[in-house]
Amino acid sequence: MTALAEVRTGAPSRSSTASRARLVPALLLLPCLIWIVVFFLWPLALMCWRSLASEGFSLESYQVLFTSPLYTKVMITTVRTAAVATAFALVLAYPIAYVLTVGGGKMRALILVFVLIPYWVDIIVRSFSWLILLGDNGMVNKALIALGLVGAPLQLLYNPFSVLLAMVQILLPLTTVTLFGAMLRIDRTLIAAAKIHGASDWQAFRTVFFPLSLPGVYGAGLLVFVLALGFYVTPALLGSPRETMIAQTIMVEANQLLDWPQASAAGAVLLLITTSIAAVYNRYFSLDRLWGGADK
Amino acid sequence: MARGAKLRLRHLTKSFGAAKAVDQISLDVAAGAFVSLLGPSGSGKTTTLNLIAGFLTPDAGDILLDERSIADVPPHRRNIGMVFQSYSLFPHMTVADNVGFPLRMRSKLSRADARRRIEEMLALVQLGHLGSRYPRQLSGGQQQRVAMARALVSHPRLLLMDEPLGALDKKLREQMQVEIKRIHRSVGTTVIYVTHDQTEALTMSDLVVVMHQARIAQVGTPRALYEAPDNLFVADFLGDSNLLPAKVIRASGNEALVEIGNGKTIGATASAAAVGARVVVLIRPEDMSVGTTPTGEALAGIVKDISYHGDTFKLDVAVGADALKVKVAREHGAGMRPGQEVYLTWPSAAARVLPVSEPVADGEGG
Repeated sequence: MTALAEVRTGAPSRSSTASRARLVPALLLLPCLIWIVVFFLWPLALMCWRSLASEGFSLESYQVLFTSPLYTKVMITTVRTAAVATAFALVLAYPIAYVLTVGGGKMRALILVFVLIPYWVDIIVRSFSWLILLGDNGMVNKALIALGLVGAPLQLLYNPFSVLLAMVQILLPLTTVTLFGAMLRIDRTLIAAAKIHGASDWQAFRTVFFPLSLPGVYGAGLLVFVLALGFYVTPALLGSPRETMIAQTIMVEANQLLDWPQASAAGAVLLLITTSIAAVYNRYFSLDRLWGGADK
Repeated sequence: MARGAKLRLRHLTKSFGAAKAVDQISLDVAAGAFVSLLGPSGSGKTTTLNLIAGFLTPDAGDILLDERSIADVPPHRRNIGMVFQSYSLFPHMTVADNVGFPLRMRSKLSRADARRRIEEMLALVQLGHLGSRYPRQLSGGQQQRVAMARALVSHPRLLLMDEPLGALDKKLREQMQVEIKRIHRSVGTTVIYVTHDQTEALTMSDLVVVMHQARIAQVGTPRALYEAPDNLFVADFLGDSNLLPAKVIRASGNEALVEIGNGKTIGATASAAAVGARVVVLIRPEDMSVGTTPTGEALAGIVKDISYHGDTFKLDVAVGADALKVKVAREHGAGMRPGQEVYLTWPSAAARVLPVSEPVADGEGG
């Protein structure tokens, strides 16, 4: 419709402009929407369907999932590993994020570079580096032997320790950046207000900064925990076969045992857990905050 | 209650990079006085306040509180109260906990004594019933009162206020001005009040410090500043003013005869004027009277524009090449029309000779 026609037709043209205003964003989103539906939602739906239909419709896969000792053990290992890794990542990232927040321009830029470089290195590469560092002939063992601290190489790999170490290292950049974003939101004049009203640096931190940073800590914690739950490469490369996490188990079911319904059911449950956590996060902290949107 | 402290600034200087934010400022503030730092943004008033608070360290100079230097004392040991522009109440604490914060940090008061003091303070700012609320549940004006209570609870010797009413609407701002004065009278502490609002500074202060380009342009009582400014900046910054370029014809004592634009000579007061010197004459718009019949003394002009301001009319009157602002009472302005010929008179004491220390804003000076 031309502009002239719109003027002449009056009222109906207003609604057509309005519908066009809605149409343009829809058109712009369409390619991405198609992509997501075909390559993400459709496979996801297939997975969920498969988990229910092995030979006819049945909930058997889910029954196995919730009753077999194997899955109970895997779930406990997964949640425990993810929780401990998250806790360590938070404790290590908090001081870095704090220095980033209060530090000046050059200091901030330098630290950010060191935080982000590992973030841009692929997870597989980072996990392999730990293999090299922690192996029997790795740098750590060689150094310990050279210093005479140990006689024989320590078993540093293929145990919960090595998995945890690598996971914390991999999760640290994201934790730091998320905490940093949350801390930047804290109004710094509040710290000045605390100081002028009698608080020392430490008291100002303890009574004002720290409590105000806690929502950010919870937010970063939930986010990192969700990521940690789904770790595959790191535990597969560095972990003990007796202490597998859920993603590894799903892989084994699908690739080696070819039990697709079982793998699908485990995948569906993992998906449900992570989306519920994301929903809780969104309820209390707003997902928008992760990409710089407004607080709830 | 505790009396306020005497504050002295001695050649205080602070630069940020190459820019001087505060340049050699010296100031004496009497104990218990209410002093405003007034100036446009970037004039150095907030930097001065932050130096007194201890958030910034001076490059040179000293700050004395009751004759003792506090330049090396960290902010939390200065026993100063402060009200911030955005109030800066702690959002995770109740009103009572906000007010009690300085007591918890500073004093060894027992819990019961602290609670009594908090109640006293909340009563002082008339918020006795809101102690258990959180700051976000309060209106701007209420938050402002809580900020006052927090700043005053530990009986500070000095209270700093950084544009505390900037975020409030006009009506509330006027109410709070009265409130702050009432509270100041009842606690007696010394107050340093930063504002860019001249009405606020003039109505509230014992002494006003006008700041301009990192220096003090003039210090004086509100009346002295408005009625007898030392220089062009102060004359121009405070209120409406007519600033006419002129030349001194005759000078004796406090009186001078000067020649203005169209060859007309007028009488004016001058503190020190040399014959032949290029000067500027200040006449406040409200000091002029408008007549419709010519008299010997009067300056003839044409009304260019009239605007109605409720209690007054403001006229723009063209006198030769100069445009003069005139403020007249409602009953005098009602009959005026644009294009009308009028005759301006004023008492010679109302015309003040000022040195040309810097170019007049409209570029007609010199």
